[in-house]
Amino acid sequence: MAITEEPLALTSGEAATVERPLGALTRPKGGNGWRDWLSTVDHKKIGIMYGVAAMFFFVVGGIEALLIRLQLAAPDGQILSAEVYNQVFTMHGVTMVFLFIMPLAAAFANYLIPLQIGARDVAFPRLNALSFWIWISGAVFLNTSWIVGGGGADCGWFCYSPNSGLAFSPSHGVDFYVIGLQIAGVASLISAANLIVTVLNMRAPGMTLFRMPVLTWMLLVTQFLLLFALPVITVALFLLMFDRLFDAQFFNPETGGDPLLWQHLFWIFGHPEVYIIILPSFGIISEIIPTFSRKPIFGYSFMVFSGIAIGFMGWGVWAHHMFVSGIGPFSVAAFSLSTMFIAVPTGVKILNWLATMWGGKLRFTTAMLFAVGTVAMFTIGGLSGVTHSLAPADSQQTDTYYIVAHFHYVIFGGGVLGLMGGLYFWWPKIFGHCLNEFWGKVHFWVILVGFNLTFGPMHVVGLQGMSRRIDTYAAGYGFEFWNLVATIGSFIIALGVLIFFFNVWKSRRDAADLPAPGPDPWDARSLEWMLPSPTPEHNFDTIPVVESEDEWWHRKYGYDENKRVVRIATIEEAAQDGSATGVHLPAPSFWPLVLALGLPLIGYGLIFNLWLAVVGGALTGLAIYSWALEPVDDPDADHGHGHDDHHDDDDDGGDDHAADDSEPVTAGAEGGE
Amino acid sequence: MELPEKAATEKKTMGIDPYERNWMRLSILLLVVFAATITIGGLAMGFEVPGAEQEVDPRTVLDSPPWSEPGVREVAPGVFEAYVVAQAWAFVPREITLPVGAEVTINLTSPDLQHGFRVDETNLNMMVIPGQVSTLSYTFDELGEFPYICHEYCGRGHEAMFGVVNVVSAQEYEALTATDDAATSEEAAG
Repeated sequence: MAITEEPLALTSGEAATVERPLGALTRPKGGNGWRDWLSTVDHKKIGIMYGVAAMFFFVVGGIEALLIRLQLAAPDGQILSAEVYNQVFTMHGVTMVFLFIMPLAAAFANYLIPLQIGARDVAFPRLNALSFWIWISGAVFLNTSWIVGGGGADCGWFCYSPNSGLAFSPSHGVDFYVIGLQIAGVASLISAANLIVTVLNMRAPGMTLFRMPVLTWMLLVTQFLLLFALPVITVALFLLMFDRLFDAQFFNPETGGDPLLWQHLFWIFGHPEVYIIILPSFGIISEIIPTFSRKPIFGYSFMVFSGIAIGFMGWGVWAHHMFVSGIGPFSVAAFSLSTMFIAVPTGVKILNWLATMWGGKLRFTTAMLFAVGTVAMFTIGGLSGVTHSLAPADSQQTDTYYIVAHFHYVIFGGGVLGLMGGLYFWWPKIFGHCLNEFWGKVHFWVILVGFNLTFGPMHVVGLQGMSRRIDTYAAGYGFEFWNLVATIGSFIIALGVLIFFFNVWKSRRDAADLPAPGPDPWDARSLEWMLPSPTPEHNFDTIPVVESEDEWWHRKYGYDENKRVVRIATIEEAAQDGSATGVHLPAPSFWPLVLALGLPLIGYGLIFNLWLAVVGGALTGLAIYSWALEPVDDPDADHGHGHDDHHDDDDDGGDDHAADDSEPVTAGAEGGE
Repeated sequence: MELPEKAATEKKTMGIDPYERNWMRLSILLLVVFAATITIGGLAMGFEVPGAEQEVDPRTVLDSPPWSEPGVREVAPGVFEAYVVAQAWAFVPREITLPVGAEVTINLTSPDLQHGFRVDETNLNMMVIPGQVSTLSYTFDELGEFPYICHEYCGRGHEAMFGVVNVVSAQEYEALTATDDAATSEEAAG
C-alpha cells in the first residue's frame, strides 16, 4: 500500500523543536516523514498502518497455507515433517485470524468510523495509537517463536488441553502463542472500548444511531463482541500460561484439572470471534451494494437489528463446536436449536442484499463484484454451517475436511472477499487514486476461481472421511484427486494475491496520468464521500449536520413533484474542499509506541529469563508514567490553544469554529486517556 | 451548503415498507420451523450423542478392569460391550470383530491426551477426553470393514492412529470365537 505524500500543513506549522520538561522524548510534530508514522495519533494513518501490516501477515499466513497444500497435494507427502506440519497449520490459523482478518477489519474501523459519523478523530487518539502498536508488537512476538522459540506453536489454533500442556508440547511455541495472543488481545480490547465511545459520543449533530451507515453499525456490534469475547480467551490463555510456566494444574486431568474447561472457554470466545471476523465484511458490502445498485439498502432497520441479533445470539452457540465432546444430549439439542436460530438473522441479511440489488441500476465495478461474490460464497458457507447444527449430520462431519471447507467459505468467502471489495471501494478515499478496474476484475475472477477450486473439493474429501490436521494420508482412500485440485486452487489464489499487489503498484504509478477521482467517484451515499480524496488530515472542514439516513446521497439528490429522483447539487457543490486551516488536531506522541515495546519484552522474560520481564515492565511503567505527565495538548503547537478542541462534536451550528475555546466536553474526553 | 429541499425528502428513521415487514414475518416463521425441526429430530427421531457417563482417574484407569483388558465382550446374546483405549498414538485394540446385527456399546477413555474416535460410514463420532469415559451405542447391520480413526488433533502421531471394526456373518463369528477359545484353552492347558 502506498503512503500519501502530500505535505500536511495543518498541524506541522513552524518546525520548532521544544524540549519538554517532563518527557524524555521530544514532543513529535505532525508531518509525513517516517518518524511521524511512529508517533501519529491520526485515525487515518493508524488505519493505513493496520491495513499494511495485515496484508503483510496475509502473505505470511498464505505462505503457510501453500506449504500445507503442497504437503497434502499427493499421498504420503514428504515436504514437511509431522512436527513442522503441525506448527505450520497452527500458525496458519493463528496468523490468518488474529494477524490478518481482525487487523484488516480494524483498519476499516479506524479509518471509516470517524468519517462515517462525522467526527474529526476517535475519542481517544493516543489510545488508538497504543492499540495499533500493542497489536503489532504481539504479532511480531508471536512470529519470533519461529526463530527463538524452537518453532511455532503446534497445538492448533484452538490449542486444546492437555495437548497444549508442557508434557505434550515441550517446545516454546505454545508459550509464544499464549503470551502473543494475550498481548494482541490487549490491543483489541483498547481499540474496542475506544471505538464504542467514539460511536456513542462523537456523532455529528443529527447523526442519530438509526441514521448511521450499516457499516458503522456492524463495526459497533463487532467492537462490543470484542469487548466481551476477549476477556474470556484472555482468562483461558492466562490459566494455560500458569499451567505451562508456573506449574499450575488448571487443565491437567491427572491432577484433577479439567480439559473440557479449556474447550468451553475457548469456544465461548471462539464463536463470537467468527462474527467478529464476518460482521465488518457484512457492513462493507452493505455500503457497496446500495451504492452500485443506486438504491437505499433494503430494510435498513431490519439489517441493523439482525446484526445486533447476531451479536447477542453469537454467545449462545459455542457448544456446537463440542457436539461429540460428551456434553450430553440435552446440551446438544439446546445448542442445535440456537445454531439454527442464528442462521435466521444471517439469512435475513443475505436476502436483504439481494432485495437491494433487485430492480436496481447495477454497476459491476470491482468492488461490486467482490460484494456479490461475498454474498454468493457466504451463502454456501452459511448453508453448510446449518448442516452442522443438526447433531446427527454433525457427527459425520466433526473434524473432517468438510468443516475446513465450511469455515473457509465463511471466513474467506464471506470475510476476506468483502474486505477486498472494501479496499477497492475506499482506495480512492484513502490514497487519492482508484485501483485499476481491469486488473481489479482479473484479481476478482482469479481469486474466485482459485477459492472455489481450493475449498470446494474439501467438502467432498471431508464427506469421504478425510480427517483434519493429518500431516499426510495414505493412497487408496479416494482422497488423491480432490486434494491435488485443492492444491492447484491454492496456487491460483496466490496468483490472485500477486495480481492485487501488482494492481496496487500499477495504479499508483498510473495515478498521475489519470484524472483525480474527486471526492465521490462512485456516486456513493455516506458522509466520507463529501470529503476530498485523499481525506485531509482534519477530515471535515465543517462538521455536517445530518438530516437523514444516506445523508450524502440526499445532499446530491432530491425528488421532484412526481416523486422522481432529481439531482439537486453536483458533487463539487455539495462536497467540502478540505481547505479549512487552523483546525486543531490531537497532538502526536511517542509514548504509545514505547509502552507497546515493553510488552513483548515482558513476554520474552516470562519464557526465558525473568530479569528481561523486569526490564520490559520498567519500560512499560515508564511509558505509562510519562504518558500521564505529557499534556493532552501540545502548548507549543502552532495554534496556541490551551486545550484540545479538535472534535467539535457538540458544535451544533454545523460550521466549525477552529478558534472556539469553549468546549469542555472534548477536553474531558481526552483527559480520560 | 445546507440544502433546504432536503427536509422534504427526509426519510422516517424507522419507516418500514410493506415488503420489508412481510419479510420480517417470514423470517419469524422460519424460526418456528427450525425450532420444530430440532424438537421433532430430538424427541421423535431419537438421535443419540455421546455422553460423559463416568469420570475416571487417567493415571490409574488402565490398572483395573474393565480398562486393564480392553476389547469386546458379549454381555447378552447379540449385545456387546467394547472397551477401547485411545492413547498416544494408537488404539487398543486396533481391531474389533463383531457379528452382523450386533448391538454394541462402545466405551472409550484416554490415559494421556485428547483423542477422537470416528467410525467411517456410521454416526459413531466421539471425542475422547482424559479423565472421562465417552460412550455411544450402535447396531452394525451391514457386513464389511469399518475403519475407525482418531480425528481429534493429538500431536505428532495423530495421522497414524486408526483401527478397524470387522463386521462378519454370524457363522464366521462363531468360528472365530471358537478358535479363539480353543487357543485360550490350549494356552491354559500348556
